[in-house]
Amino acid sequence: MPDGDLIARSLDDPEAFAALFDRYAPMLYRYVSRRLGPEQAEDVVGDTFLAAFGRRRRYDLAQPDARPWLFGIATKLVARHHRAEAARYRALRRSPVDGPVEGPADRVAAGVTARASRPLLTEALAGLNRRDLDVLLLVAWGDLAYEEVARALGIPVGTVRSRLNRARRKVRAALGGADPTREEA
Amino acid sequence: MDDLRMLRDLGRELEDDPPASLARQRARLADAAAGAGRAARSPGRPPRPGRWTLLGVVAAATAALILVPAVLLRGGEDRSRPGRPASGADGPDTTMNVLLIGSDARGNGEAARSDSIVLAHLPKGRGSALAASLPRDSQVRIPACRTRTGGHAPAHRGRLGEAFAIGGTACTVKTVESATGVQVDLALTVDFGGFRSMVDALGGVPFTVPQAIDDPSSGFRISAGTHRLNGAQALGYVRVRHGVGDGSDLMRVERQQRFLAALAKRAKDVQTGNPVRFLAFLKAASGSVEMAPRLDLKGLQEVARSLGRTKPGTVRYTTVKVRPDPSDLARLVWDQAAAARLFAHFKTRD
Repeated sequence: MPDGDLIARSLDDPEAFAALFDRYAPMLYRYVSRRLGPEQAEDVVGDTFLAAFGRRRRYDLAQPDARPWLFGIATKLVARHHRAEAARYRALRRSPVDGPVEGPADRVAAGVTARASRPLLTEALAGLNRRDLDVLLLVAWGDLAYEEVARALGIPVGTVRSRLNRARRKVRAALGGADPTREEA
Repeated sequence: MDDLRMLRDLGRELEDDPPASLARQRARLADAAAGAGRAARSPGRPPRPGRWTLLGVVAAATAALILVPAVLLRGGEDRSRPGRPASGADGPDTTMNVLLIGSDARGNGEAARSDSIVLAHLPKGRGSALAASLPRDSQVRIPACRTRTGGHAPAHRGRLGEAFAIGGTACTVKTVESATGVQVDLALTVDFGGFRSMVDALGGVPFTVPQAIDDPSSGFRISAGTHRLNGAQALGYVRVRHGVGDGSDLMRVERQQRFLAALAKRAKDVQTGNPVRFLAFLKAASGSVEMAPRLDLKGLQEVARSLGRTKPGTVRYTTVKVRPDPSDLARLVWDQAAAARLFAHFKTRD
């Protein structure tokens, strides 16, 4: 059953709404845990579904896919923790992560590149403004298409494009110039 | 290297797998949905038997099942102090309000959370009973409470479920009394671990499973037919929601009630056939239910007897009507008019 039909059903039979949790809670948890870490993620996911349940009458039933709607609510809730999120990225900038140390040479090389560039990446994320960050991470971490991001945030597709471009420009600038692999060598 | 690809790689490194405790968040949603469902089905009408949270049933049945044995075990010391003040349980001629708290303490050092909170009203004569589930996400005023460690927590607005984390049973009672205006005469707190150890102490419970269950979300599987369920299996069986029937809470309630009937029968058989094993059961039971206030012997026997007198069909179950807080949709608030109507039933003392 498409999400839209499920939500329509939940108007008369509220308990049907729980099926939406089973479909998307794991996906949302992964997304939020990337942004805020596991401790906050659990509560944010719970809050997301309670909020979604509360406003299910306002859902556009013509939309069969509820993902953008749910990601939008989760993103607004994540925004309440924006300072904690930025602090998390800054902390990650300092802590090393384990990558593959054994395996095919190209994978090891890619791991080295990723690890070396990581402080620059997290630094860039910590420095982005919230609106640009939301668009960038809904695309990169939420796997939403531009139109879906527009629906999630309630903004025109053109705005999605411009915010994404600005965010990517800043990330590239942070990474760019200094190629981390060359710096390592 | 492409910046989006690097970002995706970073995301994969940072992400966390959904933990089993995410089920708690699902239960929060289910509580809210059950409250809204009840409101939609019976606006303003007296509640009918129906939705029920897991531990409400477990707690109520367990209470009836174990109170008498628990008293027998503790009887000596209580009897030796006849000067105790009179308890609230004076006999079936008195109306009683009992608060049932299911906690998910798992004995691993984590702070216990209250998983379900049910206020039950046993009117005079005990011919019927009314039980209202109070969603733990309800926003209420939590009065100043003494914390578990002896500290002092100031009054604040918060989730009803927080009260248990702050100050256990006593703080939950205080909070419920303040939010509902209903006086709580007796509070019973039962935890998951206690339920499991009671079943194990009985050496398992013979039980016929009418249809096979395979629930990938909880990992619980069982074939149709007669089994001797151990504690962990029994807990899995009464909690499972998926992979069986229509997945509704109503069906879960039926499963719980059937299992609890089997548990009661098993306890009775063990009591007559294996006194040593029954003693182990009594210890598990008396250790896993916390009572506040500690009633005297007569009071406990009375509660147990009167609960036994109340037939399951005459208990009306309901959930206090909630709606999202307009200023913060992630929070639930009680529909004050409906709550006032509901709790008025609890205040009648005749």
